[in-house]
Amino acid sequence: MEPLVDFLQNTLDGIALGASYALLALGFTLIFGVLRRANLSYGPAIMLGLYVATWAHLHFAHGLAVLFLIALASTVLAGAYVERLCFAPHRGGSAVAAMVASFALWMQLEEIATLALPRHLYEFPALYDGPALSLGPLAVRPEALVMLAAAITVAAALWAILHRTRFGTAVRALIDAPRAAALCGIHAGAVSIQVFALASAIGAIAGFLIVASHAQVTPMLGMWSTLKGMLAMMLGGLGSLPGAVIGGLALGLIEAHSQWYLGPQFRDFVAYLLLFALLALRPPWMSTRSAS
Amino acid sequence: MDEYTIGVLTNVGLLAFLALSAYVLLVAGELSFGQQAFFGVGAYAAGVGTAMLALPLPLAAALAMGLGAGAAALVGLPTLRLRGLYFAMATLAAAEMFRIGFELFRWQVEVGGERVGPDGTQGFRGIRWVFEHGVEPAQFLLMVWALLGAVLGVLVFVERSRLGVAVRAGGQDPELAAAVGLDVLRIKLGAIVAAGALAALGGALFAHHNTYIEPRNFDIMLGVHSLAYALIGGLGTVLGPLLGVALDIGLLEGGRFLKEYRMIVFGGLVAVLLMFRPRGVLDERAVHRLTRWR
Repeated sequence: MEPLVDFLQNTLDGIALGASYALLALGFTLIFGVLRRANLSYGPAIMLGLYVATWAHLHFAHGLAVLFLIALASTVLAGAYVERLCFAPHRGGSAVAAMVASFALWMQLEEIATLALPRHLYEFPALYDGPALSLGPLAVRPEALVMLAAAITVAAALWAILHRTRFGTAVRALIDAPRAAALCGIHAGAVSIQVFALASAIGAIAGFLIVASHAQVTPMLGMWSTLKGMLAMMLGGLGSLPGAVIGGLALGLIEAHSQWYLGPQFRDFVAYLLLFALLALRPPWMSTRSAS
Repeated sequence: MDEYTIGVLTNVGLLAFLALSAYVLLVAGELSFGQQAFFGVGAYAAGVGTAMLALPLPLAAALAMGLGAGAAALVGLPTLRLRGLYFAMATLAAAEMFRIGFELFRWQVEVGGERVGPDGTQGFRGIRWVFEHGVEPAQFLLMVWALLGAVLGVLVFVERSRLGVAVRAGGQDPELAAAVGLDVLRIKLGAIVAAGALAALGGALFAHHNTYIEPRNFDIMLGVHSLAYALIGGLGTVLGPLLGVALDIGLLEGGRFLKEYRMIVFGGLVAVLLMFRPRGVLDERAVHRLTRWR
């Protein structure tokens, strides 16, 4: 009975963790799907947004809703800035140059954030600070439920935007056939910056929920968000939105279980090993699109 | 030269090895997020060699290069057919596994009444060969740059040979290169292994310069930095990566008047630079124009 309870508890924790990864991966995948470019500054833009919100919280702003709006606005601004400087100039050009440029801006955004708030840890208003809900022998944090609900809502909203609006049609046209889309009068530059804004907004939702769940922000947030978003996207098969959700949940489950059964140091190891094996063996669902 | 300048120049030399290893792969058409792993393998291997097995540094460095090349082959063989972001992510995953491996690596022996050796996350201290053999910082600097010079010489020689042309051809258009009869995969594997050995040599020297290494030294940040160095400097000549490192370290040290705004300025500068020169300052065209003047 005990092992079963452990297993179920780990699965629950993994899904909770995976929901945050899924959210991060949705934003990352949206950019990758449209531009075929990895945006390394994705996480640092989220971090900057959350740092601005934390700064505002320390100085004048109160209430989670206000802080969320501040984080959302500043992340979107940072994302648009990254698009203009790193991706717009390299459209149709070098993917490597765009990626390295986004790395350069990573350094820049992180520096701006840590200059404003230099300490290693800042408190952030908690999403919820009561006890966990108990489900028989299992414990569930309410924040985890909020995270999961947010992931599902965002995924559904994103699907609706992509399939039910003019903007979404333009985005899908660009994904499927960039040249044909351009010939039909779709302005790739305009769609690209809108996609960045949308992806940054999703990133801001993810970052805000993660930070508010932990009730703290640290300078690791930037690198962590980029890495987890990218990893979840790759696990899910690169560039498909349902894949991002599945990849995120899978990553969360893998981490929760390997941490419990193999020890904390294997938490990341197993995820990397699985990713490496998946890439090397290339099961059919991972090779639907070329990424070069 | 004062001690400070020597330290800066040594660091430029050490990082240049890593940047060159990223450069070799970029020229071969691949993007690696994982060269820091082989840098780390080299550092640990050479450290074990001199501090625990009492090998002389040259032998330990040779051992490090061999292990670095072997580790690179281990990563390269299963990922040979991957391209673009797939290859980059596979190397990243492998490098992170290596880093976690360093965290788990515990092996200590008694040397002179002291326990020496890698101690997991606590790192590996007491790699004192340079100090114990009375090598002055200036002499070590000379050693690093002499080796770097030798490596650059070999790379220049290779670039001018048919092999160099083949590597570039495979990097720019693998299908076309294969169509004219080049064994693209074998060339790529060769580049991966050579890049691994190069990074390991840099790591071996790094360990002996620092006397202390820890798994955290070899995280993804180091790898992406080396990639950025290679690209900023330029993909047209082997001197490009050197220029990239010098630009960053130069700004880091020379730009102290900018103090904390350094990364903000540098990050913006790199992004703007890449807008105009997506293959770096010394790209193929610039190199062609410069060499035409002879």
